[in-house]
Amino acid sequence: MKRSMFGLKTAGVFYALGVLVVVLVILSAAAGRPFYLNPTNLANILDQTAWTGIVAVAMTMLLITGNFDLSVGSVAAFAGAMTMLVLDQVGAPGTIGLVFLAGLVFGLINGALVQYVGINAFIVTLGTMTTIRGLVQILTDSRTVIAETTSATLTPLQNSTWQFSNTLVLIIGAIVLGLGVLAYVRRGAGNKGLGGIVAIVTGVLFAAIGLLTSFSWQMTLPVLYLLVITMAAWLFLRFTVFGRRWYAVGGNVEAAKLSGIHTDRYKIAGFCCTAIAASFIGILYGAEIKSVNPGTLSGLELSVLAAAILGGTSLNGGSGNPIKSVIGALILTTLTNGFNILNLGATYQSFVVGLVIIGAAAIYTASRSDSGRRGGRLGRRRTATAAASTAAAATSAAAAPGPEAPAGNGRPGDTP
Amino acid sequence: MTIEPGDTMEPILETRGLTKVFGNGTQALTEVDLTVRPATIHGIVGANGAGKSTLIKIISGAIRPSDGSVIWKGREVDWSSPRDARAAGVRTIYQHIPLVPTLSVLDNVFLDQKGILRGEGDLRVAFRQLLERIDYDIDPEAIVSDLPIGDRQMVAILQALSMGAELVIMDEPTASLSDAERELAFSIARRLRAQGTTFLYISHFLDEILDLTEEVTVLRDGRVTLRAATRDLDAARLVKAIAGNRLLATEHHRTAAEHIGRPLLEVQHMSVPGRIEDVSLTVHEGEVVGLAGLLGSGRSELLHAIFGADGKARGSVRVDGRKVGRSTGAAVDAGVALVPEDRFKQGLLGPWSIWQNTSLPDIKRLAWRGLIPSEKAERARADRVVEALGVVTRTIDTEVRDLSGGNAQKVVFGKWLDGGARVILLDDPTVGVDVGAKSDILELIRGFARAGKAVLIASSDFEELVAVSDRILVLADGGIVAELDAATTTEHEVLGLASGLGAATTDGPSDPSTPSSGTPGDPTATAQGLPA
Repeated sequence: MKRSMFGLKTAGVFYALGVLVVVLVILSAAAGRPFYLNPTNLANILDQTAWTGIVAVAMTMLLITGNFDLSVGSVAAFAGAMTMLVLDQVGAPGTIGLVFLAGLVFGLINGALVQYVGINAFIVTLGTMTTIRGLVQILTDSRTVIAETTSATLTPLQNSTWQFSNTLVLIIGAIVLGLGVLAYVRRGAGNKGLGGIVAIVTGVLFAAIGLLTSFSWQMTLPVLYLLVITMAAWLFLRFTVFGRRWYAVGGNVEAAKLSGIHTDRYKIAGFCCTAIAASFIGILYGAEIKSVNPGTLSGLELSVLAAAILGGTSLNGGSGNPIKSVIGALILTTLTNGFNILNLGATYQSFVVGLVIIGAAAIYTASRSDSGRRGGRLGRRRTATAAASTAAAATSAAAAPGPEAPAGNGRPGDTP
Repeated sequence: MTIEPGDTMEPILETRGLTKVFGNGTQALTEVDLTVRPATIHGIVGANGAGKSTLIKIISGAIRPSDGSVIWKGREVDWSSPRDARAAGVRTIYQHIPLVPTLSVLDNVFLDQKGILRGEGDLRVAFRQLLERIDYDIDPEAIVSDLPIGDRQMVAILQALSMGAELVIMDEPTASLSDAERELAFSIARRLRAQGTTFLYISHFLDEILDLTEEVTVLRDGRVTLRAATRDLDAARLVKAIAGNRLLATEHHRTAAEHIGRPLLEVQHMSVPGRIEDVSLTVHEGEVVGLAGLLGSGRSELLHAIFGADGKARGSVRVDGRKVGRSTGAAVDAGVALVPEDRFKQGLLGPWSIWQNTSLPDIKRLAWRGLIPSEKAERARADRVVEALGVVTRTIDTEVRDLSGGNAQKVVFGKWLDGGARVILLDDPTVGVDVGAKSDILELIRGFARAGKAVLIASSDFEELVAVSDRILVLADGGIVAELDAATTTEHEVLGLASGLGAATTDGPSDPSTPSSGTPGDPTATAQGLPA
């Protein structure tokens, strides 16, 4: 019983973003404002998505293992405060190392409490959320902290720019094309090689865009972080032994255990993902704002979870796709951005965002019970070629159905 | 009021020609006639797959018969849901007692109470009366999750009584009870019977059946093979009716003993607190060792402990002389495989395809540089599994949750078919599998042994164990009570030993009740040589 690759359940989040963008394009044109998808606004949306998106990718990985983390906002605030407190003494590389180490420790604590003490993840991270926030207050003495050398050392990490150009699209297209050809040639018997074909088509399309257009858009560095982390997470989950086991642990922990998988290591690693991603955001926050107060980034956990849920990640574990969670984060940013562009003010914003989240969850749940079953699916059938989807989000118009590549049958990962 | 069980009374429940054919073609019941007289305890006995559960489910309204009728108090009834049966006065207490663990005893007992307002005072009075009826005491405020399993059983019985149940069906009620709890449950059942409540009592334990019931109906392969008053019965007749006199349907798959090599799996002093007590065993290369035990004997727990899946287990496991660490990962690395009992809960990832399931334990070996799984290799492996085990499926892309029980079980086997597993632990591998697939699976197990692997198979299907094993260890109450040579023992003997009837069936060749077996002297000697 295969579900359609382009069905609402598997590709719905791409359609949702497409529809949202089209609506905003029309509304802003009707209101006599500049073209909604102009390069400046696009770069702006992506930049605003980066932080939430990065943590949403990590949260998706954690949710796949069947766990849950409310402490990301507090961990990020801790990382920010710690950055400010040690930067002047140990310099940027040392600070980043120490902050990541602290994040790893928080992840291990969360994971050990859940896995070895056996407390429910919701309760554990509710507790650590409060405790770590308290730690921030103690460290900062409830005041705003700053570091003298922030602008000189850290800020470039956040504010530097890079160019998203047609040449880059051409290169990506060529790589996807190459991998697609390889996947098609090396497909196994009884395998139609559909994934390879889709990758080839996407690659050709990208290459053509790269050749026929000429543009160069300025993007901030966090957008690049987001793209790289999302790609890395997706490739890890989709193409590695560890990724397969990752899904197995979340899908049926008992079966995974009896297949000889060290399930506790995977479960704990999930918590380390979110804590380290949150620490990274804390550093970037410090770099951008140049000061950290004890209330920093509270509420991050909710927008991150909202993004993952919009992306169709199951809270039961065993299914989820980091690319779609990033699209979920993009939807949230686009909604906010649209309200601003259209001068609707913030009054109705939360109301609408809440409805969107419930609506998305309702669609996922309904399509799940349609097939009369619960539970997740392995990422393969719902995966998209990352380049394709991010470009779709980035370049355009995305009204076209998300280029959901059936990566399942292709084997680009085989490339040595 | 005391009612004597009498032959003259009209039956409270009858079934006539009850037949059930399931959608997949399995004939679970064939023309079952059952007659239950009021105020009696009526035993239903049968081996695994004999049709006991199907019969109970029909009587309690959970499923409908394909043919035949259920007659309740002289009137033919057609209950379409358990609610109808409950309303009529039939109450079923299952092995896994469905109480609300977070509520108090009182709340649980009156869970089904109609109406909007709960008159706490009235309920307390009613509760007291119930307790007096069965002469038992329990704190109505106690929270059910804090109670031992025996007390929960009592709460379930009280709940049944509060509903005015006239017929209480108990499905394997004592499997997880201690001796004292069991005695208490029995005395309460007897007391209630004296007050007019009828019981339908399903059990594996023949001593309980002989002890407690007035009448017994024995099922075998969905047919009634014996219907008699308990006082006319003895253990031997009961065992014969359960197992039959027929030649074993599954022929003996044993190979000659000379294929058996050096010890491959050595388990020493394995204990799991409360479940397994100091079990040591050895399985040799090319040997199939059967672990015979009824529900609650600890057979699954023992296999899980050997596989390193139970953190509380103590004891040592050696494979080929080398000590194995206490984790499933270490066990798999050492070449140990476990095929679990509950294939969907413990063995498979339902939404995953066949090929993704079969490759999971060995995925590292099937991957490029141990890192990137090769779908080609995984598919090739799944193709071999489907071919070798005869899995009926259109493609290897089928999600395993769409497979039938037998096919799903073959996929679980398939996970270990090609890999480096040398020691294979099987937990009730044929439960819920149809006859054809069962024979395939038994042949497969012998194939493992022929290939020089060591197989330890736990089962409550003793016919199957006798057919497939070289040696049988009988497990009861978490300890090994007998070691039998499968070539000379019989299903009857194993059943007797595992049901705690050791004496009745192993008194020696002179005892007329000893079930016929070629050479009764040999196995009994072995059995008596060990602490029973």
